[in-house]
Amino acid sequence: MRHFEKHLNDEDLLLAIDGELSSAREEQVEEHLAACWDCRTRKQSLEKTIGNFVEARHAELDAKVQPSAGLRALLKANLEQIAAEPPAKEKIPVTAFRSTRVRRALVVALATAAVIVFVIGGVERIRVQNSAVYAEGPLEPRPTLTPGAVRTVNATEVCGANSEARRDALAIPASVKEEVFREYGMSAARPQYFEIDFLITPELGGSNDIRNLWPEPYRAPVWNAHVKDQLEDRLRDMVCNGEIDLATAQHDIAADWILAYKKYFHTDRPL
Amino acid sequence: MSKNTEQEAGCWNVEYVSSFVLSMTLRESEFGFPSVLARSADAVPETACSEVESEVIQLFDEYRSRLLRYVLSIGLTVGHGEEVVQEVFLALFRHLRLGKPKDNLRGWIFRVAHNLALKGRMSEQTRPDRAELDETVAAAQVDPQPNPEQQLASGQRQARLMATVRALPERDQHCLHLRAEGLRYREIAEILEMSLGAVSISLSRSLARLERADRG
Repeated sequence: MRHFEKHLNDEDLLLAIDGELSSAREEQVEEHLAACWDCRTRKQSLEKTIGNFVEARHAELDAKVQPSAGLRALLKANLEQIAAEPPAKEKIPVTAFRSTRVRRALVVALATAAVIVFVIGGVERIRVQNSAVYAEGPLEPRPTLTPGAVRTVNATEVCGANSEARRDALAIPASVKEEVFREYGMSAARPQYFEIDFLITPELGGSNDIRNLWPEPYRAPVWNAHVKDQLEDRLRDMVCNGEIDLATAQHDIAADWILAYKKYFHTDRPL
Repeated sequence: MSKNTEQEAGCWNVEYVSSFVLSMTLRESEFGFPSVLARSADAVPETACSEVESEVIQLFDEYRSRLLRYVLSIGLTVGHGEEVVQEVFLALFRHLRLGKPKDNLRGWIFRVAHNLALKGRMSEQTRPDRAELDETVAAAQVDPQPNPEQQLASGQRQARLMATVRALPERDQHCLHLRAEGLRYREIAEILEMSLGAVSISLSRSLARLERADRG
């Protein structure tokens, strides 16, 4: 019985409170608690702390978590739209519009929610600003700011075995990132919706010059970073297979990467 | 492919439609998201769209408040939080539509919300709304029962407690808030990719700190 003489630590007490003890251990702990006032008091104290935390947390958060019929309806609408979507690849414009519609509906709903919560809570000033940033951000690189810039490399180097590693070597300093946000007029914006990306990927000889950098939205509805990655892989393959030359690939991705995608994948929408 | 009716064939297109969700999540292999490129239409099982839809709506009703409270508690604004919640359920629709396993959906939902929330505020260095919020909370969020002096004291005490929570290491905060939303240790361990033991250590450490703060 010596085992039960040892006092329980906080971890065991919490596991007991939360019902997370193994059944064998639970029996021992219960037996000790029954015998030990000290541990029982300590357990009650923990429960009290949990209670205080839960109350404080509700007090802080519940006012902001209002029931929202609007957002439920929006989800429903989004789901229905998604489900009713014709699958055929040819119906591209519809798809593109639809996604934009969803995005727009979301922004509108957020703006509405913003107003509602603003009135109710009067706390969340920052949010309206957020929605605006989200809606206004550039979806495509601006040619005047980001014409694209390359290192002096040839196709052999681009296709070399260790070219993958080169991207890591082309780190973008934080100061340059800030500069990119600034030139895109996003200095006041909180940049969490964007990453600074290469217009011409380093795998195609792109450099980390500011002329090759732009704020790419994480969440563009259709033509997003993932789609651009596909294009980059495709172009590199084509260069390395000798189907196009490196300069053409660099030019096309820099001039209009979406157009380039359509051209090289023979499609009007992302595959 | 065995199904050709417009409605059902349309269902699997969701993967493309919610590409804005995927664009955030695709590179995170730990999400367990399938790659768009790896998708094959043939692999899609035939669950009726409307069935999945109502299931998603039902789960939305069940978890929306808790999810929102969780993402707010880890630092999102209401607007951003609502948006994350929408995205979670669109992703869930896609997930269920592809016939993915339904066990531990609660864990899945919180995991996706957690990752989207962190990703969304990744480059957010400061949270300027905090100080302002604390004051408002201290002033406004009080129990209506006691007299004004007690109200103020109780509000301040709660605000102080929450300030202590925000001073905890981020991982500990995540554990604590997930637990507060009713998640079991196993689920928390999965969401935050830590061991069961680490979860229980984190929670008891946090509570000890809160206790000291509450006393002092």
